[in-house]
Amino acid sequence: MTAPLDIRPARSRVNLQKLGGQVLNWLKSLIAPLIAVLIFLAIWQVMTMGPNANLPTPIRTVQDTWELIVNPFFDYGGTDRGLFWQVWSSLQRVALGFTLAAIVGVALGILVGTSSLMYSALDPLFQILRTVPPLAWLPISLAAFQQANPSAIFVIFITAIWPIIINTTEGVRQIPQDYNNVARVLQLSKSQYFFKILFPATVPYIFTGLRIGIGLSWLAIVAAEMLIGGVGIGFFIWDAWNSSRISDIIIAIVYVGIVGLLLDRLIVFVGGLVLPEEQKQ
Amino acid sequence: MAVFVEVDHVDRVFKLPEGGQYIALKNIDLQVHKGEFVSLVGHSGCGKSTLLNILSGLDQPSAGGIVLEGRQVTEPGPDRMVVFQNYSLLPWLTVRENIALAVNRVMKKHPQPVRNRMIDHHIELVGLQKAAHKRPGEISGGMKQRVAIARALAIRPKLLLLDEPFGALDALTRGGLQEQLMKICQENEVTCIMVTHDVDEALLLSDRVVLMTNGPEAHVGQIVDVPFPRPRERMEVVKHPNYYSLRNEIVYFLNQQKRAKQHKAKPVVAMAANGLEKVNLELGFIPLVDCAPLVVAKEMGFFEAHGLANVTLNREPSWNAIADGVTTNRLDAAMMVAGMPLGITLGYGNQRPRPMVSALTLSRNGNAITFSKRLYDQGVRSLADFKAALDRRPDQIHTLAAVHPTSMHNLLLRYWLASGGIDPDRDVSVTVIPPAQMASNLKAGTIDGYCVGEPWNVRAVQEGIGVVVAIDNDIWPGHIEKVLGVTEAWANQYPKTHVALVKALLEACEYCDDRRNREEIAELLARPEYVGASESYIRQGFLDPYDRGDDSEPSQVLNYIQFFTGKTNYPDVSEAIWLMTQMARWGITPFPRNWLEVAERVKRADIFGQAARELGLLDIGRDRRPTQLFDGIQFDPDEPLKYLEKFAIKRDLRIEEVPMEEITVP
Repeated sequence: MTAPLDIRPARSRVNLQKLGGQVLNWLKSLIAPLIAVLIFLAIWQVMTMGPNANLPTPIRTVQDTWELIVNPFFDYGGTDRGLFWQVWSSLQRVALGFTLAAIVGVALGILVGTSSLMYSALDPLFQILRTVPPLAWLPISLAAFQQANPSAIFVIFITAIWPIIINTTEGVRQIPQDYNNVARVLQLSKSQYFFKILFPATVPYIFTGLRIGIGLSWLAIVAAEMLIGGVGIGFFIWDAWNSSRISDIIIAIVYVGIVGLLLDRLIVFVGGLVLPEEQKQ
Repeated sequence: MAVFVEVDHVDRVFKLPEGGQYIALKNIDLQVHKGEFVSLVGHSGCGKSTLLNILSGLDQPSAGGIVLEGRQVTEPGPDRMVVFQNYSLLPWLTVRENIALAVNRVMKKHPQPVRNRMIDHHIELVGLQKAAHKRPGEISGGMKQRVAIARALAIRPKLLLLDEPFGALDALTRGGLQEQLMKICQENEVTCIMVTHDVDEALLLSDRVVLMTNGPEAHVGQIVDVPFPRPRERMEVVKHPNYYSLRNEIVYFLNQQKRAKQHKAKPVVAMAANGLEKVNLELGFIPLVDCAPLVVAKEMGFFEAHGLANVTLNREPSWNAIADGVTTNRLDAAMMVAGMPLGITLGYGNQRPRPMVSALTLSRNGNAITFSKRLYDQGVRSLADFKAALDRRPDQIHTLAAVHPTSMHNLLLRYWLASGGIDPDRDVSVTVIPPAQMASNLKAGTIDGYCVGEPWNVRAVQEGIGVVVAIDNDIWPGHIEKVLGVTEAWANQYPKTHVALVKALLEACEYCDDRRNREEIAELLARPEYVGASESYIRQGFLDPYDRGDDSEPSQVLNYIQFFTGKTNYPDVSEAIWLMTQMARWGITPFPRNWLEVAERVKRADIFGQAARELGLLDIGRDRRPTQLFDGIQFDPDEPLKYLEKFAIKRDLRIEEVPMEEITVP
């Protein structure tokens, strides 16, 4: 075997070519969405060019908010901070509320999924509660917590928890009979069954739940912050509206959209790291 | 050989969601010895996998049970490891972790290094060292199946259950894995039960192939012994002289089951032609030398000569299947054991009485009682020796077999035993086994002897596993043996067809008793679709001198099987009365107070007479006079109750009026 010396450079060449090809493909796939965005901007520009237009044109929007765009990190005290800080404090709330929801939701989901008594008792309740709009919870949580911040976190929690519970429950109930048969034949103990079979088999469902949950909580936080004030992207938008800074609102909406997308991608990415090939959905 | 796993009369009934029930398995009875490899073969939906699940404890039988090494199986456990059809590996664990999960769980008592060695050893055994740290998603189907087998073997199960383990693999991988499995099982003496669709796979791997009938109410149809020597090589097995006959036997069984399924799917319409009401007949037979009249009538064109243009012969797995087939109208008519038409009419085995008709006796004689070589080696040469052997070892249970409760074999065997002072219910156990399974059961040691028709005695003698201790001529020469049976409703619905059928079979019987034709008939019978046994087995007694296997010179037996001579075919009422006395004696049916009415109703001499006259043959029966068996007790057909009183060994007699008018409803 004298081949290895020759093989290595050959391999890396192949990889370089491959990488180049991938980049090219990626660029190609960007062309269509880019054109779509340009057309959208053009239509926006045309429709808002008239003297009586209520909304600014895209060019005007960028001109108005140039300072916000180029410097997202300024902090002049109070609520007068750069967009990064606004988003950051919103994200902190979401992180806290969502983490709580994930922990409680997965635990509850497994409990409900493993016991058919619990399932028949609680599933109707979950089905009703999950349809309640997030903001409907806000007055109750304000009444309960008396403070703005915990109330916002609670709203996140209560919004995100339902899809997590429901998907986890479904995951537990959908464990393939084959895996249960293996567990029964091997007479696995309760804890072994939980860690070796039940939990791993449920993980794909849990991630589906988490993905829906994070989307919902990002929706909820913007709305909640509009009502409770303080630093945060939601209040930033409300504040801009009150001061008639329409351009600021538009730029904040772009931020909200991008961050929402990134959060969603983040969950998918983590799921990809955790799940083996056969279980990916 | 001790029984290792016993499937004891297992039923499995599923409740249907809309109410009602589906009987998947009915009365499955099977014994497996240690180190044995048994395959379950049958069509899809025959409940093979259900049976395997019951064996593993994952499913529970509705009745009966599984006994493993003397203990009942109630829950799944690692001593009965399953190799699942779809591998059932955990996708989040690597190959090694999958095996380790099982080993660490089951071998808790061993220290970790020992367990690690076990795991590595089994990964090596299936040649997966390189893939040990891959997850199931990254390896091929064949590799996954090897992991599943390694996982199962690593925990040293007492019983390995395999559910179509090679079903999803390509031919090359399958071949390699089969050989690996065979080697591993043999080296480690693993007892295996495998479900498969593949006949060649079953023959290559198994010691016995259990053929299951179609569901609902699937049961063991036939058990085929696979006598190939081990260790086996694929190419050598295929060259074995018995390979194709065994393969044919299995394929024939499966084809027959398929036909039965199609038959159930579409109700058969009677086709009228040639002046007959129905010319498409389904006839049932059992693979025995005395099915010759049916085979001859079919092959020599006697059916067609009498206008029966479309007759199908159905090889049935057991006499019970024959009784079921005729009473459920799946079969138009069938060869039956002598007492079956009477038994069904009287409602044997607590079944609903259904009036039957028999207008023709097909054969006389042709049975023998075979004891296992083991009994013979212990010095049992005669009935008296057997009695002495039983008295010596009262703790041992001897099991003898006959083919059906109402068969002459059962009645003669019991009569013979009782005449020697042996109570067939208390001193020994008499069980029911289909004819073709007798020899294999004798070989497996599950029975110690049997009474059956040929060639199944010859087979035991030729294979050196049994010795004939008595033939019919020693007990009752010229006794009634097989009869033609139809339901009374059928006979009333198709009277002309019935006469034509009797005529065709009567001519065939005459043909069978002409010794010039017997060479040809022996060849016909040997075909796999009929008896499917070696011609040399069939010839014995039928043509050639009969070898009893007791080192005496094989001798020519006069009228060993009789089809025509000596007024064989007349449906004789006296014989019917004798049969009823014996069935009543052993509690199989009540004895009818109106015995003559019942006998006359079943034995239709008028139909026989019409057929015989139309053929220009004698239409008279045997002389009505008292007869006796070998023990000299007189049977007077006019005094059946007095006859019954003469027997010392008998069950409580039930003497009942059987209202024949009420049971006429079909």
